[in-house]
Amino acid sequence: MSMKDKVGVIGVAIIPRAPEGGQSLEELLYEVGQLALKDAGITIEDIDGIVTGSNDQYDGRAISVMAASGSVGGVDRDILSTPSAGEHAFVMGVLRVASGQYRTHLVVAWSPTEASSLPEVQRLGNDPYYHRRLPLDEMASHALQAGALMHAVPGLEAMAQRVVEKNRGNGQHAHAGQMPAGGWAPKRFPLQDGMAAAPVTGAVAMVLASPDFVAEHKCGVAWVSGMGWATEAGYLGDRDLTQASSLEAAAKQAYDTAGITAPAGAFQVAEIADTTPYQELLAYEGLGLAPRAEWQARIDDGRFGPGGALPVNLSGGALSLNPVFCTGMIRIAEIARQVLGRAGPQQRAVHTGLAHAASGPAMMYNTVVVLTGNQGAVA
Amino acid sequence: MTAIHKGGRVGIIGIGQSAFRPKRDDASYPDLVREATLMALEDAKLDFDGIQAVVYSLSPDAMVGIGNAERAGVDAVGARNKPFLRINTGGATGISSVAAAYYHVAAGACDVVLTAGADKVGECGDSQTVLNKIWDPTYERQLPLGTITMLAMSAIRYMDKYGMTQEDMARVVVKNRWQASKNPNAHLRRETTIDEVMASRMIAWPVKLFDCCPQSSGGGAMVLASERYIKERNLDAVWITGVGHCSETYYIGDRMGHGQLADHADAYALGRSMQRSYKMAGITEPKRQVHVAELYAPFSNTEFHSIEAAGLAEIGQSPAMVREGQFKIGHGIPVNPSGGTLCTNAIAVTAMIRVAEVALQVWGRAGGHQVEGARVGIASGNGGDHQFFGTMVVEA
Repeated sequence: MSMKDKVGVIGVAIIPRAPEGGQSLEELLYEVGQLALKDAGITIEDIDGIVTGSNDQYDGRAISVMAASGSVGGVDRDILSTPSAGEHAFVMGVLRVASGQYRTHLVVAWSPTEASSLPEVQRLGNDPYYHRRLPLDEMASHALQAGALMHAVPGLEAMAQRVVEKNRGNGQHAHAGQMPAGGWAPKRFPLQDGMAAAPVTGAVAMVLASPDFVAEHKCGVAWVSGMGWATEAGYLGDRDLTQASSLEAAAKQAYDTAGITAPAGAFQVAEIADTTPYQELLAYEGLGLAPRAEWQARIDDGRFGPGGALPVNLSGGALSLNPVFCTGMIRIAEIARQVLGRAGPQQRAVHTGLAHAASGPAMMYNTVVVLTGNQGAVA
Repeated sequence: MTAIHKGGRVGIIGIGQSAFRPKRDDASYPDLVREATLMALEDAKLDFDGIQAVVYSLSPDAMVGIGNAERAGVDAVGARNKPFLRINTGGATGISSVAAAYYHVAAGACDVVLTAGADKVGECGDSQTVLNKIWDPTYERQLPLGTITMLAMSAIRYMDKYGMTQEDMARVVVKNRWQASKNPNAHLRRETTIDEVMASRMIAWPVKLFDCCPQSSGGGAMVLASERYIKERNLDAVWITGVGHCSETYYIGDRMGHGQLADHADAYALGRSMQRSYKMAGITEPKRQVHVAELYAPFSNTEFHSIEAAGLAEIGQSPAMVREGQFKIGHGIPVNPSGGTLCTNAIAVTAMIRVAEVALQVWGRAGGHQVEGARVGIASGNGGDHQFFGTMVVEA
């Protein structure tokens, strides 16, 4: 979608897996917010507004932003909150800065895993009359989508295994020592053991700024050159799970704004939703990177591997570390880091990067963000 | 923050609201969202294809008994394959959602945005049990805190600081019920008296049953559009000229005692938010420039500090002004001519209805509760534990 004003990401902090015990949620959020501000080289006094993304059911609190607002600097500030998806906080923050009313924003999303049972919490999201009695949590919806895709695309399971190997290999490089040992069994047919990562507690924050703030403070910046977001229908039964129509709609919005007509060759790096490997495969198509007829060839030629022309999920993705509700915003933050040249050991030479976030049952919500550096490659 | 409108103003072109009732067992939750959405689309003379994005207005999920219940509303608002996100700032959600829709347009991302939602508070079992879950599980949740007891404490502090009496509170109820009697969409429309309010059952001293808002069911929706879109089509519209938000502390204990940022008697952050909205709209003398106000006040006592935070009275002076007959239709700057939150509270959209009602007023479309000559109006919403505040200025 086009916007009046450019908006840039100037600071990033990712805590993909918080240490267990010893830190309250408020302390975790204070830490991630402060780290993002430090990364941007500014203080909370420079922040005009805040948008948070969190889920009441995961937090065990009605209106979960309430407890967080102090930790992220919300007292006496303009703060909004979205509970639909962590990445929607990024979308809302970008819109607010692009409106011209704010020069800066802090956007924060988090995902605790203290709920006694994440599947039970997620089942409360089902219609109470028709679906709640089913054992239908989000992983089960992802498994249903995997099953539908396997039926539509012969040989898909082997491709999915290759995606797992790629992303977990990247994860070992990016998060040495942080990934849970051994594989995790999602226990949802047809997902095999290791085709998803155990939920972990995490948080992510980014600082957004207007062009005049960037110029005034001489900040490093990753410009939001394209952004799109869209939703599927509300009920799984109303959807064709082998297609990702809302992802295609979101990608079109983002690419139209960024002026991208041939996405397959437009990016040097991408982070793509991969709660299961089937999501990443479906997203190759929805994002215009590879239609399903080419998935096998692209896996075989390593195009999306760490040494390929378009490395996908160099961070390891959600298959390596999955803080459920904020995994989507982490995908955007990882690309921002790449464009800013702050991606550490997985840094690549990047001018334009692609981030894709999916949330809700079977990739219901899709968000696509194109981030671009100031000039040339930054690393 | 800086003044905007550099890309043109943002207008309101369609409004839909249910006739709010204690129960709507004729309609499911998505049905109520659809009801308001269709009314707003008809008002804007649009069909679903004309809507580019949707902001979904829903406060705590537990009120409707479905986690992330916005997903159940996607088709009710026609959002399939469109930009869609939900806002939740508690009771402020409705005005925060209008603000979020405003930013979609002000950013240049969309020309036409729908914001919609609904609530079935009257059918949720016990809203105060749900609302107790907003407090910290370790420090404050085990106290008998609900939104009533929380704001009863505010009433006590306000009485202590400014001399408000229970009869003063009752006068607000009498005023707002009289105004609600003129509004066919209000939930509590029967007029009452000071004696009747005083005789009503004590809930949490000094707040009595009639000092409390009802638990309402119904939906609300609004269509916002860019100035360019409105002018190209020669549409009728009113304009959002000021938008602000501000937050207080989470822990109520941090609003009591000396040296705190805010005092629980007052509405510090509401005042700050109003200042932001006024600055954006160029309002420097609200007592002179504002003609009508819809201020989110779910309990009679909170209308006083809201009037003061909005700059329509000096701090501590509004009870005396209500005694003199101010702030009612036909006298000075009418506050809550629709009857306000005190007479209708479907939480997810209550603060949206504040904006919608002010828009209808400056549009001259408020019917039996129209404030004559209103051209500039203000609206507010409160959420969390009197923590999040959103405000708007709407002009003809």
